[in-house]
Amino acid sequence: MNNNKTPLRFLMVSLIALSLLCVCIFSFLAFYMSRRSEDTISNVGKIYMSGMSQQISMHFETTMDLRLSQVEALVETNFPGTKSRDDLVEDLVYSARARGFEHLAFYSTDGTFETLYGSELTVIDPEPFLASLNASGKKIAVGTDAYGTRLVLMGVSSTYPMSGGKTCTALVAALPVDYISDTLSLDNEDGMMYSHIIRQDGTFVIRSGEAFRDSYFDRIYAIYDELGGSDAGRHVQELQAAMDAGEDYSTVLVIGKEHRHLLCTKLPYSEWYLVVVVPYGSLNEEIAHLSHQWGCMAIVGCAIVLAALLLIFFRYIQITKQQMAELEQARQTAVAANKAKSEFLSNMSHDIRTPMNAIVGMTAIATANIENTQQVQHCLKKIALSSKHLLNLINDVLDMSKIESGKMTLNIDQVSLREMMDGIVNIVQPQVRAKQQQFDIFIHDILSENVCCDSVRLNQVVLNLLSNAVKFTPVEGSIHIALYQEPSPQGDDFVRTHLLVKDSGIGMSPEFQAKIFDSFSREDSRRVQRTEGTGLGMAITKFIVDAMGGTIQLRSEQGRGSEFHVTLDLEVSTIQETDMVLPDWNMLVVDDDRELCESTVASLKSIGLHAEWTLDGENAVRMAEERFQRHDGYHIILLDWKLPGMDGIETARELRRRLGENIPILLISAYDWGDIEAEAKSVGINGFISKPLFKSTLFYGLRPYVDAEETVLEPLPEEHEADFTGRRILLAEDNELNWEIADELLSSLGLELDWAENGKICVEKFSAAAPGWYDAVFMDLRMPIMTGYEATQAIRALDRPDASLPIIAMTADAFSEDIQRCLEAGMNAHIAKPIDLREVSRLLEKYLNS
Amino acid sequence: MTLQECYAAMGGNYEEVLGRLRSDRLIQKFVLKFVDDGSYQLLLDSMASQNYEDAFRAAHTIKGVCQNLGLTRLLNSSSQLSEALRHGYTPEADGLVEQVGTDYQETIGAIRAFQASLGA
Repeated sequence: MNNNKTPLRFLMVSLIALSLLCVCIFSFLAFYMSRRSEDTISNVGKIYMSGMSQQISMHFETTMDLRLSQVEALVETNFPGTKSRDDLVEDLVYSARARGFEHLAFYSTDGTFETLYGSELTVIDPEPFLASLNASGKKIAVGTDAYGTRLVLMGVSSTYPMSGGKTCTALVAALPVDYISDTLSLDNEDGMMYSHIIRQDGTFVIRSGEAFRDSYFDRIYAIYDELGGSDAGRHVQELQAAMDAGEDYSTVLVIGKEHRHLLCTKLPYSEWYLVVVVPYGSLNEEIAHLSHQWGCMAIVGCAIVLAALLLIFFRYIQITKQQMAELEQARQTAVAANKAKSEFLSNMSHDIRTPMNAIVGMTAIATANIENTQQVQHCLKKIALSSKHLLNLINDVLDMSKIESGKMTLNIDQVSLREMMDGIVNIVQPQVRAKQQQFDIFIHDILSENVCCDSVRLNQVVLNLLSNAVKFTPVEGSIHIALYQEPSPQGDDFVRTHLLVKDSGIGMSPEFQAKIFDSFSREDSRRVQRTEGTGLGMAITKFIVDAMGGTIQLRSEQGRGSEFHVTLDLEVSTIQETDMVLPDWNMLVVDDDRELCESTVASLKSIGLHAEWTLDGENAVRMAEERFQRHDGYHIILLDWKLPGMDGIETARELRRRLGENIPILLISAYDWGDIEAEAKSVGINGFISKPLFKSTLFYGLRPYVDAEETVLEPLPEEHEADFTGRRILLAEDNELNWEIADELLSSLGLELDWAENGKICVEKFSAAAPGWYDAVFMDLRMPIMTGYEATQAIRALDRPDASLPIIAMTADAFSEDIQRCLEAGMNAHIAKPIDLREVSRLLEKYLNS
Repeated sequence: MTLQECYAAMGGNYEEVLGRLRSDRLIQKFVLKFVDDGSYQLLLDSMASQNYEDAFRAAHTIKGVCQNLGLTRLLNSSSQLSEALRHGYTPEADGLVEQVGTDYQETIGAIRAFQASLGA
């Protein structure tokens, strides 16, 4: 759990840190941007202002230039000396009035005026004005007339004779100051801007707006005082310093809450400076608004980013928590699986130990009692049983490990469901009988008997379910298995096959039902403690069903029984039943089970055959002979191995005797053909069809004889009485009666027989005879003192030229292992009792004439 | 009592035997000899002395004789007995010995009856 908290705390801390960082960045951005915008606005103002002042100053210059050039033009058109003085004055006055000058005067070198028209002029601050004009040039200055009206004086150097006989230094024309301020629009009532023209000492040349003081500097102080500013002195000093240096001066005056931009620049043709002032009023408001908006946007942005962060954070915590829960679950599953595995191992070692103990113990007992055959036999039986049990356990474990390592694959082939069901039922039936349980099989609605599927694995599934049902159902309980089909949702190529296994057994607890399909589990209650098994069966079953793409469902109630329902979508096999048609033959079915006979006949009919049936061998022989004599014989006879009275072998022999070799006789049996093949073949049985007999089994079993009918079954050569006259046979047989019968029969072939009562006598008689005396030895196998096997080995071991003479076994047993053992012992061939002369002749012909 | 009737009484297969031995004379000769065959006695003796190897051989011999003579009923029981004794004693053997005894007595009884009818 500690692990759980650490990442959470880390997340919380990082979230808080990130939020703080976010707020800081946004605050800084808002602050910085508001500062920057103020600066920018101030710069914009400065650029705008300097542009404005430049324009004004240029306008001033142009205006002054114009006026000065008009005065110059006066001088040039009325050059001194060209006319008389009175004419000059008259012309000058006339021209000056025409150009709108209000006053005109000659200016003497000592600074006195001789008025030509207008009133008396006085120059304010005349020194620089006089100095410039004396040095011959042009200059502007401010002065007053006799009434005190402020005038702008424009002087151009010239040498007109003055009335006193002196020569003047310049011609001066004057205009009212208002002319300049109007021309320059210095006092713009509509605009926010206003301008002054001042001298270097701060005194006004031209005032505008509400300015009334004589010095601009005084005005600055006054305004500062009025509005509560404090650094007026600094501005005045800076302004004066800039004026001294002849530079432009630009600054923002912050007076209380008000911002004003001030620009001061020098004007030409004078000692004057233009001061332009723009109050920031509305600009300021715009900037404040912008700043406010900036702040708002920053806060909103910050909030959005924070919200997004929080959202991500909580989602992340959610995911993390979920993952942690999953991890915990996985861990618990792993632990549980591990626990189940170790439990399984301990169970298994117990389960393995039990049969192993039996094997070890029984082996010890057998060794101790090696002389006591009966005891050894008993022990071996127990050992065999325990080994089988052990093998089952190991097979299950191997299967499971195959499944767990993913190595188990399905081997798809064509399967007949009915065949499979019957095979399984045959296997289970003995167990069911032993427990006296009621066993119902219900197969219905079969749409397709043949399907494509892994037959071995499907078998395993059904067998597993069935044997579990048998195992967990008490004596006299009932077991029900049903197989039916319905169309599959996967299409026409598939058929949905249901398999239902139901029992009235001990049932399962709900807890166990939940884990029955897990590996290594077994209902852990006392009732099943004594039941054998690995507990892997259901896991294997489940896996197989899953691998086949099917489902398995379980309904169970403790004490009431269980029901397993397997649903599989199996591919329909391409070879269909409709293709199964055989020629229109007559057939005979011999079996002691009436139902089997009837169902087999029906199946045969469905594949195009006519069949009759009978319950015993005697009847079969009679029926076959009757038809044979009517020349309407059966084409094929199916014969059960086990019959009451005459058994299958005997019936076959009889049929062969009466009907000859031409009619195929096929054995039908649930036994393994390999076990009975030799015996069956020896009485002329052609082949074998394994029970249960379904349409497909019959079809595939009989089909080989369709072609064989015409070609293979040519009549055998006529039975001829072979003549072995003069041939001597040594016959070893412990039973006198059997000897006599053999003697009687074989003598009819012209053979001369000597009798040896047992194996030992046989070897002695053979040894005593001259080499080549006997042509062959017929050897019974079961004899006292020395068996046929031992006698044969003894004869083969003799140092005689005829030690390799033909030795033919004669025995009542006809198991294939017996035949094998005969051959191993050195015998040449094997004849089953009773002695059949034809068989004996055939063999003797083969061995004596070769 | 004819030979066929005797075979029917013994639960044997007369036709089959006739098919092999080909004459009633031979069948009759061997069937009558069966009465003297010591195998059954050997079976009883060896069972009594728990010599199951001999018992097996005796059962096996009876089986062989029955095959030769077509004594189907006795053949069936003796055949089962020999299987039960093939690998030593099994509990089934006791019951089968009894079955063989019953079948043997029936067979012998039938043969004796037949013999009696011959003598008459």
